[in-house]
Amino acid sequence: MLFRLLKKSILKRKSRIIIAIISVMIGAAIATALLSISLDVGEKVGLEFRKYGANLMVIPKSDTISVGFPGVDVGSITDQRLINESDLWKIKTISWRNNVKGFTPFLYQVISVDDGITRHDVVLVGTYFNQTIIIQQPYSPQDNPVFITGIQNINSWWTVEGSWISDQNDTTSAMIGKKVAEIFNLSIGDSFNIYYDEYIGDAIDEKNYSLTVVGIIETEGYEDDQIFVNLHVAQTLTSRPEKVHTVQVSALCNACPVEEFATEIEEKIPYVQGKTLRQLAYVEMGVLDKVENMMLLITIIALIASALGVMTTMLTSVIERQKEIGLMKSIGAENRKIITLFYSEAVIIGIVGGVLGYIVGFIISQIIGANSFSTTITPRFEIILVSIVISVGVSLLSSIIPIRRAVKIEPAIVLRGE
Amino acid sequence: MTENEIIRLQGIKKYYDENTHVLENLNLIIKKGTWTSIIGPSGSGKTTLLNIIGCLDSATSGSVIIYGKDITKLTQGELTRFRRENIGLIFQQYHLIPYLTALENVMLAQYYHGVVDEKKSIDVLKRVGMDHRLNHIPAHLSGGEQQRVCIARALINEPTILLADEPTGNLDQKNGEIVLELIKQLQKEGHTIVMVTHNPDVAKLGQRTITVIDGKICADSSCAIEINEKFEGIDEMRYKIDKLTGEVDEEGKDNLFYGEDDLKKRIDEKIKKR
Repeated sequence: MLFRLLKKSILKRKSRIIIAIISVMIGAAIATALLSISLDVGEKVGLEFRKYGANLMVIPKSDTISVGFPGVDVGSITDQRLINESDLWKIKTISWRNNVKGFTPFLYQVISVDDGITRHDVVLVGTYFNQTIIIQQPYSPQDNPVFITGIQNINSWWTVEGSWISDQNDTTSAMIGKKVAEIFNLSIGDSFNIYYDEYIGDAIDEKNYSLTVVGIIETEGYEDDQIFVNLHVAQTLTSRPEKVHTVQVSALCNACPVEEFATEIEEKIPYVQGKTLRQLAYVEMGVLDKVENMMLLITIIALIASALGVMTTMLTSVIERQKEIGLMKSIGAENRKIITLFYSEAVIIGIVGGVLGYIVGFIISQIIGANSFSTTITPRFEIILVSIVISVGVSLLSSIIPIRRAVKIEPAIVLRGE
Repeated sequence: MTENEIIRLQGIKKYYDENTHVLENLNLIIKKGTWTSIIGPSGSGKTTLLNIIGCLDSATSGSVIIYGKDITKLTQGELTRFRRENIGLIFQQYHLIPYLTALENVMLAQYYHGVVDEKKSIDVLKRVGMDHRLNHIPAHLSGGEQQRVCIARALINEPTILLADEPTGNLDQKNGEIVLELIKQLQKEGHTIVMVTHNPDVAKLGQRTITVIDGKICADSSCAIEINEKFEGIDEMRYKIDKLTGEVDEEGKDNLFYGEDDLKKRIDEKIKKR
């Protein structure tokens, strides 16, 4: 009978119920959208931050021997250790491997470039652009054994005029920093010579090598003064086959500490050490916290607004139904039956509002994701439960005052004809 | 309380505030299986009296004893249960839930009483001649039909007391007669009927008519014994005055009693005229 009563009572007052559902839906939609964004884009916001560079630097471990001079160790002055390029795939075999968004090695060499009048020293950087890495022993059989990575994965925020080097076997293309382009008056498509010293035993032989500009990089950082080529080009020029100086790793991680990445990488490649860029991580966490707090605040305000909407609708409903409630009481309805009726209505409003709120919220989150983070938001079905729970909670809480009012209605109201 | 007594009101007062005295020191005994009509002008307090008997309203002071139980001492929940089990209500405006069918309106009273039995509801509607309109909503029923559904709802939980507030007030003569016939039948079956009405002809269908004016019982067709002691002895005087003013009815009986103050005023007026 309660079901029949509810069904007919809701159908009879469709417009009121729809208003209440819309109120709940708006709150639930905002809560769902922001929750989806904060869960999904939490990572994607992290990704945005990753655009500003790697957050983990892998460098060779150096055994240092103190020489009695504060700050000067034998290791640091004698030991020019390098990392084997053939070990880099191991970075993708740590337990947090799925959070390794990318990594790229760097091999540095100071070379000279002629501006027509004089030669200037410039740092040549060998790195990966679009490198296919074969993971020889994947962590799990389900893991993709092929991983494509490169400097653009880590530094996707760089402004590039022209194009990135796309072929990993390209030996003549170079990407140059903006300042290099200015100093040497180079544009896309221009060729230029680099000069470098080749050591043959104790003898030094100066050689030159021709490169063609395919892209000009602008980062407002030290990269503007550098020339980037494929790693093997730099390795060949500097006679350091299969070697790299450092590896930058972009660890996508909100909940996990980047230190764990470092530790695991050190376990996989024992002669390296991982240095986290803690400062960046802290800034990132701080900003993420602020964003999340703001989202929470907006959600709370939205939910309060929905609660007020539901409360107003329910109050109006109680006032409109005073006689009906009085009648129900006069024919024997105890307060708990009246309470059950109204709370059941509130639960229905909450469930319907919650489901619709989830759908609308998901659409909103997609729009925000596309516009603000240039990404889609992964649907999370657990959020629908959260949305329903929040909506039912809001609906029930906002019904307390109207229901208390309903309970106070006297049955005599029916006979008094008020 | 005698064996035949079903309702006893003692010293009932109902004040809404200092200046609004609805019922004044009212005493009344209603016997089992009788039909008592309450008449009186608008605002006289007769509906309030019915509300108090029906456990819908509480008295400011005095006691209401139904089936030997003083209901003024019951909590709100106990009152609701007591009403549900013992009292059926018939309203002038029928007060059916507009979005429920005739059958569902009757079943609703069952739901509040405990178990819903659709067959029993159909039987009761059949009894009031409404079995052909089971699935019609009130808006699709005539006034008389709605009133019969209201009576079916009042009967569904088998109460012994039926309280009716102007049950024919909104009905045409034909429908009014059908409803009154039904109520008469119910009384014959043993229900105790208390009916508020404006219509003296309807009131006369009962065994007893009580006239309420300004919150006091001013006349009781059965006897004046239960009326407050201060009215004792003036019954005869009233008869004499009414004889003088020609307000005695054809049978030589007078159901109208105007109260002590009014009586004195009218005697003074008659004396002045002479």
